[in-house]
Amino acid sequence: MRRKLRIPDHWKYRTFWLESGQAYLYLFPAFLILAVFTFYPFFSAFRLSLYKWSAIHPPGTYVGLGNYAKIFADRHFWNAVWNTFYYVAISVPVTLFLALLVANLLNKPLRMRAFARTSFFLAYITPLVAVAMVWSWMYDWRYGVLNYLLGFLGIDLINWLMDPKFAMLAVIIMSVWRFVGYQAIILLAGLQNIDQMYYDAAKVDGASPFRTWWHVTIPLLTPQIFFVFIMSMIGSFKVFTEIYVLFSGQPGPLKSAETLVYYILRIGRFDGNLLGRAAAASIFLFAVIFAFTLIQLFFTQRKVHYQ
Amino acid sequence: MLRKGILLGLACVMLMGLVVFAQEPVTIEFWHSMSSGHQPYLVDLVNKFMEEYPYITVNLTYQGGYGDTEDKVEASVVAGTPPTMVQLYENVITPLVEVLYPIGPHMTQAEKDDILDGLVPNNTFDGVLVSVPWNKSIMVLYYRSDLIATPPTTWEEFAIMAADLTVDVDGDGVIDRYGTGLRPYNPELFLNYLIQNGGTILNDDWSAVTIGDQKGVEAMQYAESLVPSSYISSGYLSDAVGQDLVAMFVDTSAGYYYNHKAAVDNGFELACARVPAGPVNNSSAIQGTNLVVFDMGQTQAQKDAAVLLARFLIRPENTVAWSLRGGYLPVVKSAYENQDWLDFLADNPDYVVMSEAMIDGFAQILHPNYGLMRGAIGSAFEEVILAASSAVDAMANLVLDLTDLLEY
Repeated sequence: MRRKLRIPDHWKYRTFWLESGQAYLYLFPAFLILAVFTFYPFFSAFRLSLYKWSAIHPPGTYVGLGNYAKIFADRHFWNAVWNTFYYVAISVPVTLFLALLVANLLNKPLRMRAFARTSFFLAYITPLVAVAMVWSWMYDWRYGVLNYLLGFLGIDLINWLMDPKFAMLAVIIMSVWRFVGYQAIILLAGLQNIDQMYYDAAKVDGASPFRTWWHVTIPLLTPQIFFVFIMSMIGSFKVFTEIYVLFSGQPGPLKSAETLVYYILRIGRFDGNLLGRAAAASIFLFAVIFAFTLIQLFFTQRKVHYQ
Repeated sequence: MLRKGILLGLACVMLMGLVVFAQEPVTIEFWHSMSSGHQPYLVDLVNKFMEEYPYITVNLTYQGGYGDTEDKVEASVVAGTPPTMVQLYENVITPLVEVLYPIGPHMTQAEKDDILDGLVPNNTFDGVLVSVPWNKSIMVLYYRSDLIATPPTTWEEFAIMAADLTVDVDGDGVIDRYGTGLRPYNPELFLNYLIQNGGTILNDDWSAVTIGDQKGVEAMQYAESLVPSSYISSGYLSDAVGQDLVAMFVDTSAGYYYNHKAAVDNGFELACARVPAGPVNNSSAIQGTNLVVFDMGQTQAQKDAAVLLARFLIRPENTVAWSLRGGYLPVVKSAYENQDWLDFLADNPDYVVMSEAMIDGFAQILHPNYGLMRGAIGSAFEEVILAASSAVDAMANLVLDLTDLLEY
């Protein structure tokens, strides 16, 4: 027997349509901005990835998946993929771990706590170009303060910016230093929102400080940890400026610090005009970030606890 | 008599009318990449042009660095509204030829013949002189004249001298001064070696990569042989000169001011010489941009005015004025006989060397993917200089990279 289509009851009321209309009206400006600056460029990039670009006859000649085949056959592309994963795999967990420690420290009743919080955050709000320039001096092989300090430990001079083994590590160290303060402030906000009653209960149960931290603090901080983790991972996949400034416009010695975004800009903008291939690499990067975000959502949401 | 006077008067009025018609005001856009250092000199030249052609107004607009200008030009072409005139590298010009207004056919034969021979091929597309050379520099050998009495003239002499000048003065096992300096990513330096050894990047019709042949491999092996005597730095070698770390090195003439200043400020003497000759020649790489005129919605009057400006800027007296003040080198032969230039050379002997090098220098190829090819050449050179790869292996990989870029 066929079911009769039934119009939902609330559709019959004028107020429903008025309120819905109002809501969509308020959403419209944001949607317009998203449509123009996010959705259109995304679909445009996808379309461009199927063409061999021509400025005179845009978008050029249709090549299907030819651009994808070209980049997948390019050893420099895979080098960039490897470098990007290397950067993400080290910088994201290390930054988060240090940020957790700093946030816990800043949550203690220390002297000059406000000054300490500001100092940590200062690294994040200082313009990245200025930061990278100062770090490039600190990394200087002969005169840099880093090698000077390592000298006290009996460690040989490290050519941070010229040795392919250390180039990406140099980027990671600078990046960790920059983002620890920012993440710590977010985590600190989460820490301060945890109700004291949980700690009191743990105390009554005789829990040690570490067990309290592990079984009370961390679970109740998971919403902030999850947020910071996702955002820093997405940001890390898109790392570019640090490398560009640190290596004076080059992708590090022997392309040892060339990330995917750098690769995209190099073939599409700095060295060449292969916008179709650059767009294909962009779509690949989008797919990677999207997949990783979904995986994180799947695994971490189960572990997120809300008070 | 009266009738004759009236007729004469009418004729004069008509003639004046024609003159006025011919000089109808016209405005052109000239996009350039000359930042604050060079911009005043360009403004002076353009003002001089507007005095000579009062009916032409040139809107001179700084568009950022070369890369920024290229991006903006491309965006403007896509939008169908490019400026009248721009300065661009050759490989950027190639895919745009279809929408350019060739300058050569509107120049006199004498003007065309006057352009330096080395600069004609890289401005000629399908046999037509489409663009004209503008701000050009060349690679020369810089050497510490307080350490080197006579600069090396051949590859062999250079290698021997570089080894001899690499010294550990205090005997602590650390080299205190190197015979030469190398920037690992330096495609032009490798191209010097390649051309001096008789090699080429591609064959004539761009259908095959030739850089990996015996001549190319030998050129890379020569670079490889210099590594033990080289101070290796990704930064400009002017810093190394100032720190007494290198005795000689090959660099562009555009860096003359910085190299010279670094040496003199630290009490050293620095002079210039031609780059040492390879087995075939001692030609060196010419770098810099060219002027193009767009034919994409511009009126005939605008295109004519832009061609006039291009011709004006490469007149001997103007290319000399630009070189004297801007640090570049003249782009036409007659400029090298210009009295102002000769007077300048008398006071600045280093520029004599640069002038000589400019006469038989070589320019970049016109392939649209040259930017990426140049990058690949730079990377191969870097692999060898940083000892990550042998010359043979690096050249084999380079051939693969360039083959992928042949298609355009």
